[in-house]
Parts: sequence; structure tokens; C-alpha cells
Amino acid sequence: MNDLLPVLAQQVINGLSLGSIYALIAIGYTMVYGIIGMINFAHGEIYMIGAYVGVVTITALGAASGAMPLALVLSGALIIAVVVTAAYGWTVERVAYRPLRGSPRLVPLISAIGMSIFLQNYVQLGQGARDISVPPLLPGNLFEIDVEGFPVSLSLTRALIIFATLALMIALTLYISRSRMGRACRACSQDMGMANLLGIDTNRVISFTFVVGAILAAVGGVLIGLSIGKINPFIGFVAGIKAFTAAVLGGIGSIPGAMLGGVLLGLTETFASAFLPTEYKDVVAFGLLVLILLFRPTGLLGTPDVEKV
Amino acid sequence: MKLSRNLLGIAVATALAGVAGQAVAADIRIAVAGPVTGPVAQYGDMQMIGAEMAIEQINAKGGIKGDKLVMVKMDDACEPKQSPTVANQVVNDGIKFVVGHLCSGATKPAAKIYDENDVLMVSPAATNDAITAEGFKMVFRTIGKDSQQGPAAGKFIVSHLKPKALAIIHDKQSYGQGIAEQVRETAMAAGVKPVMFEGISKGDTDFSALITKLKTAGADVIYYGGYHPELGLLLRQAKEQGLQAKWMGPEGVGNKDLNAIAGDAVEGLYVTLPQDFTTEPENAALVKAFKDKGQDPSGPFVLTSYAAVEVIADSIKAVGADPVKVADYMRKHTFKTPIGELGFTASGDLKDFKFVVYEWHKDASKTAVK
Repeated sequence: MNDLLPVLAQQVINGLSLGSIYALIAIGYTMVYGIIGMINFAHGEIYMIGAYVGVVTITALGAASGAMPLALVLSGALIIAVVVTAAYGWTVERVAYRPLRGSPRLVPLISAIGMSIFLQNYVQLGQGARDISVPPLLPGNLFEIDVEGFPVSLSLTRALIIFATLALMIALTLYISRSRMGRACRACSQDMGMANLLGIDTNRVISFTFVVGAILAAVGGVLIGLSIGKINPFIGFVAGIKAFTAAVLGGIGSIPGAMLGGVLLGLTETFASAFLPTEYKDVVAFGLLVLILLFRPTGLLGTPDVEKV
Repeated sequence: MKLSRNLLGIAVATALAGVAGQAVAADIRIAVAGPVTGPVAQYGDMQMIGAEMAIEQINAKGGIKGDKLVMVKMDDACEPKQSPTVANQVVNDGIKFVVGHLCSGATKPAAKIYDENDVLMVSPAATNDAITAEGFKMVFRTIGKDSQQGPAAGKFIVSHLKPKALAIIHDKQSYGQGIAEQVRETAMAAGVKPVMFEGISKGDTDFSALITKLKTAGADVIYYGGYHPELGLLLRQAKEQGLQAKWMGPEGVGNKDLNAIAGDAVEGLYVTLPQDFTTEPENAALVKAFKDKGQDPSGPFVLTSYAAVEVIADSIKAVGADPVKVADYMRKHTFKTPIGELGFTASGDLKDFKFVVYEWHKDASKTAVK
């Protein structure tokens, strides 16, 4: 067991990159819940659409020129994916949730599930039900350190995932705490009716949260396309469940909570898989969720909600 | 996820069956059931083109005593939950002959339904032993069993790859786990005790924790029981972490989509596949017929599907379109097919079937390992 340390280091890297993606998607769940108190079950599909747009763009750009520099292809794919996915996020809210504003809580929930099934089948019909693959575009490692004969490595794609997530999280935190729109968001999450009375365009704020959630999910989708390299119309389901779990774990409605929850879930899964038979990783991850909710029903960073019963 | 996929599959199957049923009620219908959608639909393609070619050629020669064969495509998406629906659909439509299913997990529940309803089923691809172990009268296959393939792989590992630390990974499905257990038994019998025997979840995508674990265990030979989507990711992520090991898998990974996922990381992968019959001189005309249609006959299940149709057709020619009589006839006779002379045991398995070890390359070609 003298080589435990490098193994732990490698597993932390693995867990961080897995958790980063969860965190990116979890933000979308948590922001929407924070503002309108609704679980947007179609959010996993928004992530899937982001992945599709990203992969299709990478393939198209790569195939069209061949000689186009990789950085250009990737940033092009990222921008297009973000724009298109944001449009989907906005449209979903506009079509499926806004007309139901003010109706009982169950109604938009059912609408969200319907939207989720619709989007899955819509992509399946448009793109086929089969796996789409991207060959490894960014081979190589950011670093590889030999620790007592065990090479610990961080690949470029995983480094990109971790750093992109970190940068986006910092940017989002700053934006929510400093900007005018951020302040409006916080106001809406505290008291939507009062915010409305004070002249905040609450519909615009709600649209904004959907768009932000979609942007982060799109980045997550493109990064997954890049690192995992295999997508199909059904990836949104599992990713959505995991990210939703991460959001609940961290305290749904809390942005830092979603980040923490995502990373924690990623690390838990990875370590469960590392030290127990791999079969048990979901058992451990969801067991942890149950435990945390038993002792902290509002999640790790959530605040007790007195108003919404 | 599962729900919507199932619904769509059922809708498609129903629509196809409905159309075929009305148009050609007088002819002999053969249902070809396998994954038309889903992550392993590539294998369904192999099955479909193989069966379609056989049916076309038989019809071009005047059919069976003037009766035309008609192919009815059915989609089980390789899902054990969906295949019984397909099987019931076949039974309700009054179709008496099935070429399929493809995935062992999906074949098992369907086989029982066919047997109970006297529908003849010939699987060109399902290798799990349990499928023919229940004493069914109507269930056959034109491919070998895991208990032939697993030991072949296990012996190859022990004698050729000589592992210092053998790890066995599987996908917890009937097919993957079944064959992984066979490999483990064979290796243990030869004195090689695997350092690891673990299952992953089908549909998972991030295996980095497992790769690190394999590295820690010092695995130098890794056998994977399952299909290509997961193996592709395993290979790709193993390369990413610089895991130095020889990989091996069963025929369910031998597909060029493996290369699309894993890229160069597939180089040197060992695969047990049914012997490649497309290079046999007597199959030259048949291979040309596939090539003329722009199809690739070299996939592992193309010619086994062709053979399945041929065996059914030959038997119908001899005893008429009664599936019970056809099953009887199949057990008592041998058939000349592109995959050799086939005879069936009482359980419905082939009397003799060879798996060959191939080395897989980064351009999706393969070379036989001597």
C-alpha cells in the first residue's frame, strides 16, 4: 500500500473531471428551482442537444477543411453549441412552462417530463438512434508525473473539463453577485411577487435562468463529446438524473451547492468504484444522498424554505 | 429513456408488420428480429443484409415451390424488455419463422414465447448457453455457444498472451457476463487466477476510475465480455491514462464502430470471431452479390443470418411450411450453407462451430492469429 498516494491522486483527478460535468448540468436544475420552484426535467435533454450540436459542428468543421486549426474548430463548435442550445433552453421555457405559470405545481412538472420525451425522440428522429462518435481530437497529457513507479496523468481533455468548469463557475458567481441581472435573479428567488411589484421584469429573469442553465449544459455537452467521444439521444437521461442528484445533494436552489454537489458526487462515484467492486458505485453514491438528506433535508448548502411548503 | 425507446420500437415494428401482413398474406413470411435502433444496431444491419440477400436469392430462383419468401423486419433494440413484445407481435401476426434475435439477453425471453407458440426461431448471433439449455423444441442457432467461444478465448490468453495479471471485465448482461465467466473458468483451470473480475454498467461512459484500478492491479491482459460501445470507451480511456495491457473481447466487439469510438487505441486488440467465410472460394459469387449491392459481407453475423434463412427454406422445401415439421427435419438433416455444412443437435445447437482469434487493427481490418 506504499503506492496508495499516487493512486489516490489519479482517482481525485478522475473524480474531479466527472464531477465537473455533473456540476455544469446541476446549475441548470438549481437555478430554475431557485427562481420558480420547479424541477425542469427536460434539462438533461438540453445537455444532450448541446452535445449533439457540438459533435455535429466538430465533424462538419473538421470535415470541411481538414487543415483548420484545432483550437478554431473547438471554439467554433463551442460557440455554435452554446448559441443553439441557449435558443432551445429559451424556447422550452417559452413553449412548455410560461403558459402554465400560476397553475398548480404538478402541471409544469408533467409538462417538463413531456418536453423531455419530446426532445429525446426529436433528436432520435433527426439524428438517428445510433451512437455518434468523435475520434480523440486532443490526445496527450497536460502532465504525467511518475510517483514511485506509478504514473499519475491528467489528459488535456480532462484538464479542459476541470478548468473550463472552474472558470465558468467563477464567472457565474461574479455575475450573479455583481450584475444588475444577477441582483434581479436573487430578488426573484426571494420573492417573485414583490420583485414584480418593484418593476423587475420577472419573465425576463426566468428566461435568463433557462438560458444560463442551457449555456452551461451546452459547454458540458461539448466537453463530454470531446472527452468521451460517444453520444446518443439517450445520454441526457442518466446525466440529468445524476446532475439532479448533485443539485439536491448540494441543496437545490443554491448555486454553490450545485457546484459542491456535482464535485462531491463525482468523487464519491470514483472512489466507490476504486475501492469497491465497480458495480457498487451507484449504490454508494445514492446511499450517500439518502444519508445526507436524512440529516440535512435541505442538502449541504440549502436553506430551509419556510414559504414554499 | 427506456420507455420512449420502447414505445418508438413498438410503433415501428407494428407499422412494418402491419404493412407486410396486408400486402402478402399468401406468401411465407420470415420475421427477422434484431436491433434496428439503439447502440448496437450495427449488428442488426449485418443480420438484416444477410437475411435479405438469402431471401432475394431464393425468390429469384422461383421461391419455395412457387411460394415467395417475405422478410418482416422487427426491432428489439437489443432490449430484454422489448423482445417479448416483438415475439408476441410475431405470434399474433401468424408469422411462423423467425431469424433472430441477436443479443443473447433479448433472445432468451423471446425464445420461450416462440417455443410455446410453435414458432420456429433460428438465431444467427445469440451465443449464451442458456438459450438452448431449456429443452426447447423450436429454438435453433447458426452460431456457436459461449461455452465454445469462452474456452477458446481463455486458452488463447493462457497459452499465447501468458498474463502475469489477468483482469476480466464484463457488462453484467447475459452475453457479456456469460462469456466472461467462461473465460475465467478456463483460465482458472489452467492455473491462471484473475486478479480482478468486475462488472460495469451498460451505458456508462466514464470508466477512468476503473482504468486507474486496473493500472494499480498491474493488469497486463484484460478480457472484456460485452459489446463494442463500452469496450471502445474502455480502450480510449486506457490509452488516455497510459495503461499498458493487451485487450481481448468476444465477437460482440468486432465492429468498425469500435474504431470510431476508440481511434488508434484498438490496435492489437484480440477478438474471437466466427471464422471468416467470405474468403472461401465457394462463396466468391455470394460475396460479389453483396459487394454489387454496396454491402459488406464480412461482418460476423451476415453469413450466419444468410445460413439461417437457407436452412429454414431448405427444410420448408422438404416438409412444407409447418414449423413443427421443419424443426424435426432440421434436427435430422445436414444443410449446405456458406458457413459450411451445418447439422443440429437435439438442443438446437450446431454440431460443430469454430471461433477463430483475430487481431484487430486501427483501420478496422483484422488478421487471423495463428
